[in-house]
Amino acid sequence: MPEQPIVKMVNISKRFGAVQALDRVSLDVNEGEVLGLLGDNGAGKSTLIKILAGIFPPTEGEIYFEGKPVRLSSPKEARELGIETVHQKLSLVDIMTISRNFFLGREPVKKIGPFSFLDKRKMDEECRKVVTQVGVRVRDPNEYVSILSGGERQAISIGRAMYFGARILILDEPMTALSVREQRTVIEEVKNAKAAGAAIIFITHNVYHVYPVADRFVILDKGKKIGEVTKAEVTAEELTEIVAAGSMTGEPEIGS
Amino acid sequence: MANEENARDRDQGSLAARITTRLRRNPAVGVIGAFLVLFVIFSSLNSSFLSVKNLTGIFTIVSELGIVTIGIAFVMITGEFDLSVSSVYALSGFLFVTLANQINSLLALFVTLAIAVAIGFINGLITVRVRLPSFITTLGMQMFIRGILLAVTGGASVSYHGDRIVPAMFTNIVGQGFRPSHLWFIVITVVFSLILTRTRYGNWVYATGGDREVARAMGVHVDRVKIQNFMISAVLAALSGCIVLTRFKIANAAFGVGMELEAIAAAVIGGTFLTGGYGTIIGAFFGALIMGMMRTGLIMSGAPAYWYQAFVGAILVIAATINLKLHRIEM
Repeated sequence: MPEQPIVKMVNISKRFGAVQALDRVSLDVNEGEVLGLLGDNGAGKSTLIKILAGIFPPTEGEIYFEGKPVRLSSPKEARELGIETVHQKLSLVDIMTISRNFFLGREPVKKIGPFSFLDKRKMDEECRKVVTQVGVRVRDPNEYVSILSGGERQAISIGRAMYFGARILILDEPMTALSVREQRTVIEEVKNAKAAGAAIIFITHNVYHVYPVADRFVILDKGKKIGEVTKAEVTAEELTEIVAAGSMTGEPEIGS
Repeated sequence: MANEENARDRDQGSLAARITTRLRRNPAVGVIGAFLVLFVIFSSLNSSFLSVKNLTGIFTIVSELGIVTIGIAFVMITGEFDLSVSSVYALSGFLFVTLANQINSLLALFVTLAIAVAIGFINGLITVRVRLPSFITTLGMQMFIRGILLAVTGGASVSYHGDRIVPAMFTNIVGQGFRPSHLWFIVITVVFSLILTRTRYGNWVYATGGDREVARAMGVHVDRVKIQNFMISAVLAALSGCIVLTRFKIANAAFGVGMELEAIAAAVIGGTFLTGGYGTIIGAFFGALIMGMMRTGLIMSGAPAYWYQAFVGAILVIAATINLKLHRIEM
């Protein structure tokens, strides 16, 4: 009997006014796998994972976490289940320090009388540890995020997600605007996260970004799921063709 | 051995680096420097500037503006404006007198502050729900309250006949011009500074103003934070309005006109960003101190009172420019 998927999204639809962003998309994520979520711009990839991250609810459809139905009505609830997201541009506040960013929304406190104050020492120490682990060199966790490069930001965001015990790590276009070397760092981080036992959903429109690390692919186009394949079944070239054509047959849709 | 020494070197290096970075980066350093320079200038222009009586007199005015400025700074750090503080200030003074003339003054104070909290809540709710720029929401609130106040009172003043509890708490002179309001201002500065820099709420305030979408994605209830800050701003403006009232013993619907811009100027001089995400309460404290000192200092050095505005204008632009440059270097 196959293991049950850690997350099951069933017939998810999302409408923004007149726009049908998602149309009955189903998605399974299995324990310990790297799932490449592919599709051209506007395919609905980000909408789908924003629903899973609790940023907004689906118009229709159900989500099951470890077999139990869940309603994710805020990012906080998703994170409590261990669904951690590294958004394309939504992970760190530029004009805050690395350490304040690291614990944003989950700040450790110590009690002094009836008052709770930030445990700055713990914040700085833990943050420094993780930042060093992911290979980012900073003088001080109290440096501003704005001094970091795109790759460093992604590495720290992934490190943070793992530090908080991510069971499912969602990476939304983590390689966009990164240099080739920085892309390698991110790939290393993805491998480390996988080794640590997390299931990973890697969203991209560039097949070559995810092909080296992925086990399985789901392809979206114009809000619909058009295919699902394991790595053994396709080459990167074929996948690119599917994403570009917007259909599994490999032929461009004609006169639809 | 060598390794240990290396490690120690590194630690010392990072400690020294940390201290200089802290200093360089603390938004309050610039404003404290400016304060000291102006203080020396005014002291040398007129020897009586340094008298205790004069300094406490300055601090009385500074306390009233400063308490409002702290609230404004909170709102501005979340990336919003509160232009209604000047009207809340006038309304609260008026409300407090009217109530205290009938009932226990402490109770009157609480009722007044509660009404201010409600006004702040409405400001915040309209801003986050309708997605109206707070500049518009609070400008509307400012005109609305001021208009009603003028219409109801017909511009006539009311004088205070209530008990002595609240005046004793705030403004009765203790000696040499010292008033309890000075202590209130200092305590409020310390408390709100701690809230902003040392609590989870403070972290959310910075994040909400720094990048609303990131803050939301990281689980911060950004709308709630904004509404709470509008409430803080309104209640501090109301408190200041009551403090002024117990000093003057009369309330008038025209009190505090233009004060919102003075408070914004003080916050900006203190290093707060108009765009949100950055600023300190210590900076706001010194910003208000500079404003109050200039007002008195200019008059004492023989300049006509009108010069005050011109100076504030110039210093505002200079301070904002310096803050922006420092920020660019740092980030």
